[in-house]
Amino acid sequence: MTTTAERGPVRQGRRRALGLITGLGALGLAIPWPRRPSQARPVQRLPSLREADYYRPHELAG
Amino acid sequence: MSAVTCELCPRGCVIPEGGAGDCRIRVNLGGRLRATTYGRPSAVHIDPMEKKPLYHFLPGTPVFSIATAGCNLHCLNCQNWQLSQRGGEEMEQVYRLDPPELIRAAKAEGCRSIAYTYSDPVVFYEYVYDSAELARQEGLANCFVTAAYINQHPLRQLCRLLDAANADLKAFDDGFYRQVNGATLKPVLDALVTMREEGVWLEVTNLVIPTLNDDPAVIRRLARWVRAELGAQTPLHFSRFQPQYRMRNLPPTPVETLDRARREAQDAGLEHVYVGNVLGHAGNSTYCPRDGTLLIGRVGFMITDYALTADGRCPSCNERVPGVWRSADLSGDRR
Ligand code: SF4
Ligand SMILES: [Zn+2]
Repeated sequence: MTTTAERGPVRQGRRRALGLITGLGALGLAIPWPRRPSQARPVQRLPSLREADYYRPHELAG
Repeated sequence: MSAVTCELCPRGCVIPEGGAGDCRIRVNLGGRLRATTYGRPSAVHIDPMEKKPLYHFLPGTPVFSIATAGCNLHCLNCQNWQLSQRGGEEMEQVYRLDPPELIRAAKAEGCRSIAYTYSDPVVFYEYVYDSAELARQEGLANCFVTAAYINQHPLRQLCRLLDAANADLKAFDDGFYRQVNGATLKPVLDALVTMREEGVWLEVTNLVIPTLNDDPAVIRRLARWVRAELGAQTPLHFSRFQPQYRMRNLPPTPVETLDRARREAQDAGLEHVYVGNVLGHAGNSTYCPRDGTLLIGRVGFMITDYALTADGRCPSCNERVPGVWRSADLSGDRR
């Protein structure tokens, strides 16, 4: 897992980008993208065990 | 020990019990193949349609975009390698978004469509299929953004639920596919033709990488093939390469190279040829193929001009520009 401290520069870069976007927004250019959906939230790992389509038992040759 | 053969993509992985396919996310548990990222995307965003890029499909609308971990290609220049070249258990973020929740979330965000994108949606096929079926019932459109490395039967089944696709044609060169993507060309060409035949609105993207696939002769062959097999009205996007992942040794594509590729494709008879990843380039915009009128102006993902008539015609000469310009244009049961 990456710690928050390790991610510092990325966050800063993002903030700068956000500043630019807000700046452009102030100029009257609407940039609503990209955004995070408010509904979806990350969860703990939950592997899904849904059976896959398109497979068959493997037959050994010979 | 019961191994299984996965028949979803041309790799045809033979997976021993307890093992995973080459895409990392299809796993043999007790002799049955499991799709481990079903309903568990690791990327969830609302993007502009222009980002896919789909330029002739519901322009300017937000599209609810998802991907799970895993991919059946291993491109040296992958832009999303943290997502695509890992298994689900390695992801920092996993969302629980089974198809009904996905559709609900998309609607709540005011999206008219869902994009299966970012990594390669081929490998989370079952999740795409079930979500697409539900989306169709709920009046949402389905967009598939893919490298199209998939077998014919699963693709045909899925096409019945897809409204639009942006498919990569990474190079018209099998050696390139083998060397850079860990794949082969032929199944991709077949898949593109199938999508076209099945009536999916199709746009094609070619990422132009300096020295590897920028040879004018290769670009010309690609454009001629698109014209012959997919039609002159198929939008073709030449996208600018940026040094990424395991291909940081090459420079970004010079704009002149993209200009030249665009001219080659136009000379080959394609009517809508775009340049992507170059902000403010004239090739971001849509022009009337008959009289050159600016129809849709774009800067980045923003639409700056929109002159098409409501039924998708040029206001000067009345030429009909192919595409799905409004929800009402979604054909028949695709509406
Ligand atoms: S989908 Fe995955 S497991 Fe199936 S053949 Fe392709 S790479 Fe292998
Ligand atoms: Zn015109």
